[in-house]
Amino acid sequence: MNNNRFADNRAWFLVLPATLLVAFSSLIPFIAVVNYSLQIVFNMNTHSFVGWSTFHDALTNEEFRGALGRQVLFTAIVLAIEVPLGIGVALTMPRSGRAVGPIMVVLALPLLVPWNVVGLIWQIFARGDIGLFGAFVNNVLHINYNYATGSVSAWFTVVLMSVWHWTSLIALLCYAGLCAIPGAFYQAARIDGASRWAVFRFIELPKLRGVLTIAILLRFVYSFKVYAEPLTVTGGGPGSSTTFMTEMLTNTAIGQFAYGKAAAYGLLYFLIILLISYVFYIVLTRVGTSEGDQ
Amino acid sequence: MQWMLWTLPTAAFFIGIVAILIVMTIWQFIQPTRERRGWIIPMRTTRGDRLFIGLLSSAYLTALWVALVPLTSWILLVLVVLWIVGLILFG
Repeated sequence: MNNNRFADNRAWFLVLPATLLVAFSSLIPFIAVVNYSLQIVFNMNTHSFVGWSTFHDALTNEEFRGALGRQVLFTAIVLAIEVPLGIGVALTMPRSGRAVGPIMVVLALPLLVPWNVVGLIWQIFARGDIGLFGAFVNNVLHINYNYATGSVSAWFTVVLMSVWHWTSLIALLCYAGLCAIPGAFYQAARIDGASRWAVFRFIELPKLRGVLTIAILLRFVYSFKVYAEPLTVTGGGPGSSTTFMTEMLTNTAIGQFAYGKAAAYGLLYFLIILLISYVFYIVLTRVGTSEGDQ
Repeated sequence: MQWMLWTLPTAAFFIGIVAILIVMTIWQFIQPTRERRGWIIPMRTTRGDRLFIGLLSSAYLTALWVALVPLTSWILLVLVVLWIVGLILFG
């Protein structure tokens, strides 16, 4: 037996503090949630084991499936708008000159606004009576728009708000990626007489792959756990048309005190996030390797 | 520990997970894993990767079973164990 069979694993001791912290803040509560999820919990002294029934309820009732469906739809719409728009904005930005600074500041501005303040801004901005945007749509365009009573209006507001808040993130990341492409690629393309589309398709897009993966991952995570923004504007309404997973979980756990049910919902939510995070992890770690290109 | 509301089934579950991790560690000492491509997963994986994929897919399998199959979950347990072992050996 030679000593080179095992990698030197001593470096793992360096992550011990982080591991202990995560154990305290996440792992132990997570284990408790697993325990809660199979019980009906009235309080810490009165609880009874009910097996899979909380999960069976969660997977078959409309409340959970509705909220999950809306969450998936919201994330899909938001990504489908923000990613192309962000790339587009990045492509139109100048690579050098006086304008770069002001443009960057303007782009970064929405990112600096906290979630609930973004919600507050849009809650007022989109109001039909005193909000500039709401009044414009209602009185100038003559479209009946009220996010408090119409579910289409509510969805439109929530999506538009997310696009306003987060497109900059994708634009800035893509801009950084574009600036990192050496000029020689563009010269070669010019010599070959490549069209603008061909330059984008065969030079810029492949070079942006790593940056875009991270941008999409971040945007996926943020939009899949969205909470404060829609809650501030629509309060999950009208009805439950903009009630997303996080809000439904909060209502179940803190509103109804149904800890067991909320734990089951939370675990199913966690499973989805875990799967998608793992897929992103695989993509990120294997991009550019021969494995990733197969 | 009272606030964690332990029950026998969940305790057994977590003891099982810890036991799996211990067995995998010992196995790693006896015979270190090599990254390889198996029959089921279309990429190169180590034994630990396959365990993780096995556990995650089992969670989904369990959710499907609970939602759709009105039979005792002991059958599910057997299926899940067979699936994870198969995945680690051949996946």
